[in-house]
Amino acid sequence: MRRSSVVPSYVRPTPRRVAGLPSPLWTLVFVLVAVVAVEVYARSGAVSRLDLIPVSEMLSRAIELLGDRKFVVDSLLRSVLLICASFVASAVAGVAVAYAMARSRWIHRAVKPYVNVFYALPVFALYPVMVVMFGTGVVPIILLATLFSVVIVIANALVGFESTPAIATKLARSLEMSRSQQLRKILLPSALPDILAGLKLGLAYAIIAVLATEFILATTGLGQVVNRAYNNFDTIDMYAGIVFVSVFALLANLALGAALNAFDWRRR
Amino acid sequence: MNARRAWIPPLVLAAALVVVWTVTAALAGSAVYPGPGEALASLRSDLGDSRFLGSVADTARVLLLSYGAAVAAGAVTGMLLGLSAFWSRAALPVVYALNSVPKIVLYPIFLLFLGIGDLSRGSFAFVSGVLPMFLIMVEATAGVSRLHLKMSASLGMSRWSLLRRIVVPSVLPSLASGMRLCFGLTLIGLLLAEMFSGSSGLGYELLRNLSLARVEKIIGQVILVGLLALVPTLALQQLESRIRNRYEVKV
Repeated sequence: MRRSSVVPSYVRPTPRRVAGLPSPLWTLVFVLVAVVAVEVYARSGAVSRLDLIPVSEMLSRAIELLGDRKFVVDSLLRSVLLICASFVASAVAGVAVAYAMARSRWIHRAVKPYVNVFYALPVFALYPVMVVMFGTGVVPIILLATLFSVVIVIANALVGFESTPAIATKLARSLEMSRSQQLRKILLPSALPDILAGLKLGLAYAIIAVLATEFILATTGLGQVVNRAYNNFDTIDMYAGIVFVSVFALLANLALGAALNAFDWRRR
Repeated sequence: MNARRAWIPPLVLAAALVVVWTVTAALAGSAVYPGPGEALASLRSDLGDSRFLGSVADTARVLLLSYGAAVAAGAVTGMLLGLSAFWSRAALPVVYALNSVPKIVLYPIFLLFLGIGDLSRGSFAFVSGVLPMFLIMVEATAGVSRLHLKMSASLGMSRWSLLRRIVVPSVLPSLASGMRLCFGLTLIGLLLAEMFSGSSGLGYELLRNLSLARVEKIIGQVILVGLLALVPTLALQQLESRIRNRYEVKV
């Protein structure tokens, strides 16, 4: 009956189910189909084991890696620490710069054009420069990851500071609040949802930057595990590393998102 | 403050940074920390080198192809999916998850299946750019005014003219900002791919000079990369603000 309707599908109310399944189950179906397709293709013998291995082997090897002390300490822990360090640095610096921009029209005018074009510039081109200056240790990685993630924090925090209702600013003036009182009681709480959105993106960017720099050139770390396995033609370890990194990034982003949403007064 | 004066603060900041760089480099007098003069001189000598120019041309060619493909594929598939709220809801979590994975660690898979060369780095740059483009377009299409959709339904418009007359004009502002974003991401993807494994291209040149410890060359090339990225970005920003003025629905 509905098939013969003259009302086109795009203005009809969204169906709850298609073919008896609600949308979250379809999401699951998509993932399962992709995983099974890779598994079958890898087992069929149509592709060399040097190119692709079944998903089940990737997963079991990735879980094995978690029991490997050397992997956990040298690679996982190191990358996690680097990500945390750059994330904290960019969070603090980003909010501070955005606050300075919100306070001073001159700083705002001077910095804003660079914030706007920053992500069009390939910052990773600076990595070789930093490696020559600081060696292949942790310093260039933290510097680059902080630089890469700080700008998105600045951009979001600035939106937050600028969307403070004028009435609240006026209230602060008539109450003769000091600058630090204004920051703590008015500006920060009002900008908080945007700052949190910026921090979520900042973590995603910090993870990308740390893994990418480790992948290109480093002595150890999660990114380097994948690089080394590729160069040694160790396909199993390579895929295990890729699965591990992907799941790790996904879980870290989800966890921070959930943690930060708890502070977000707009979601209460 | 008028439009002309607005240029002053960013220029002052840039000039101050260059001065700091010059002075600290002169004070350090170190071989691994050259000043702006040395960097520009080595960039000039690089630009006279035909092998280096070949690398620049290679990067530009691959970038153009993968960027065009990413914009076209992301925009069209994004619009088609965005028209269906149900399928957007089913498919988007997977795409968002894929998008949050650091894609560079997937690059070895491209190398295994496509080999070292233009095809693998171009495909990798394409994948880096297409996902954000796709997501932006899905969200933009889902945001097309329901009133306009109902109107097109009551006029009995075909799917094709619905896309052409309603959807495309409504999503043009998002398309323009997506194009700007996608350009930067495609370029980053391409440079990372070239840095990891390449036989030519700007990313390869950067890492080659790293192993030769030619810092002034690297800095000169970073300046060149920055300029090459900045020009299209400013053009795309101009395009975006024009399109916004013309098409954006003001509430």
